[in-house]
Amino acid sequence: MAKARKPNSDDVVRVDFDFRRQLAKKVEGNLASFCYQCGACVGDCPAATYSDEFNPREIMLKVLYGLGEELLVEDSVLWQCTNCYNCAERCPQDVKPVEVIISLKNMLADLNIYPPTVEKIIGTFEKTGRTTPLSPAVDRQRERFGLPPMKPVPMDEISKLLEPAPDEEDDSE
Amino acid sequence: MKPFAFFPGCLIPVRYPAMEFAIRQTLPKLGIEIVDLEGASCCPDPIYFKSKDKLSWLSVAARNLTLAEDLGLDVFTNCSGCTATLSEAYHLLKDDELRDKINKRLKRIGRKYKGTSRVRHVATLVRDEAGYDAVRESVVRPLDGMKMAIHYGCHLLKPSKIMNVDDPNNPEVLEKMVEALGATPVRHRNWYLCCGKACQHEAIPLNMMHALLSTVKDVEAEILCLICPTCFSQFDHGQMKVTKHFNEDYHIPPVYYFQLLAFAQGIPYEKLGFERQRYKPESLQRFATSSVHVEG
Repeated sequence: MAKARKPNSDDVVRVDFDFRRQLAKKVEGNLASFCYQCGACVGDCPAATYSDEFNPREIMLKVLYGLGEELLVEDSVLWQCTNCYNCAERCPQDVKPVEVIISLKNMLADLNIYPPTVEKIIGTFEKTGRTTPLSPAVDRQRERFGLPPMKPVPMDEISKLLEPAPDEEDDSE
Repeated sequence: MKPFAFFPGCLIPVRYPAMEFAIRQTLPKLGIEIVDLEGASCCPDPIYFKSKDKLSWLSVAARNLTLAEDLGLDVFTNCSGCTATLSEAYHLLKDDELRDKINKRLKRIGRKYKGTSRVRHVATLVRDEAGYDAVRESVVRPLDGMKMAIHYGCHLLKPSKIMNVDDPNNPEVLEKMVEALGATPVRHRNWYLCCGKACQHEAIPLNMMHALLSTVKDVEAEILCLICPTCFSQFDHGQMKVTKHFNEDYHIPPVYYFQLLAFAQGIPYEKLGFERQRYKPESLQRFATSSVHVEG
């Protein structure tokens, strides 16, 4: 990805369209283009209410400017989103800021950057097909309630689904 | 009535089997027949795996839906996260281009997504297929006078254009379900707040939970009734953290709705796994002597 440029001292904003093109390749990643910065997403945002750093309007503005370098970093503010969807409810432009944020997280994953908890849960899913790990104690607990043991997930099928097709991303251009 | 395919997900069958037990006990008494979905995986979760790659997330969700399509049945889940993923997949895959893309992946395993199986959370399945009156009639020991706060959580209702469940700004489904138990739903000021589990930050969810629990305490609710295992884990673990951090005393047991229904339908308190919660709904025991009808 080309390096994003911040506004110059001459107040000319140079938009990094390469970053925006990359984001638009993600499912619903292009929705930010319709944002007119009204801020309806902010008032009902729990993360914005309880954090000084998180502001969905600001994140959409950075996306519009193509300031990927401020969002796609370790300990990114993106991970403060609670995924509550209030912003999507309030947005008059159907931007779904939460979905744009998840698409940005997909770009973070392409750079192999995850918070440790997130990486661990993804790893459990990719190995077992479930996000909650199994153990013999699980089946003993289930037996107490007269429930059958957990069955393994057909991982041969899941693994095949996880490989991207070579032509997939180009389709959307 | 046609049976419904049961998608149990991960968190409930693995960590909270008492919730699964409660679903399996209560639904038949409402005339809802359950068929198990063989070969299902994680939905996959709408927070972690979706953050890695939405296309892979959609592909696995679509595969899960094809399992129900094979049976010609609609799906229900017992978890708001699973409801979110599967409903969103159902919605997004109405788009021809995206569906073709996902079907190219599914072709590798000899499957094809058709979009014929509708998705619902068990709470709305009960509302739509059995109705509140059937719930009321199934109750053998009404929880008369028990004040219950309700935590809707986020993914049952929102995004409302996809979920189509209830008004996200003034829902009633869970209030009606609680009333059908004979209990009294009480609305607390922060009823709409998210549990905060998805937020990867220490202080934000703690402050959110504090705000929520303090308003639940204000209305003197005995129980925080909810319908999502993630919200449950957040409030059962988190309440202890909030108590310590703010040095305030909270004792508001979070309880999964269908365990309450199972209890009200006559299943003994001791059989419902409450001893594994940090905050136990012991106040339910005062109804234990009334008209006990043991099953399960």
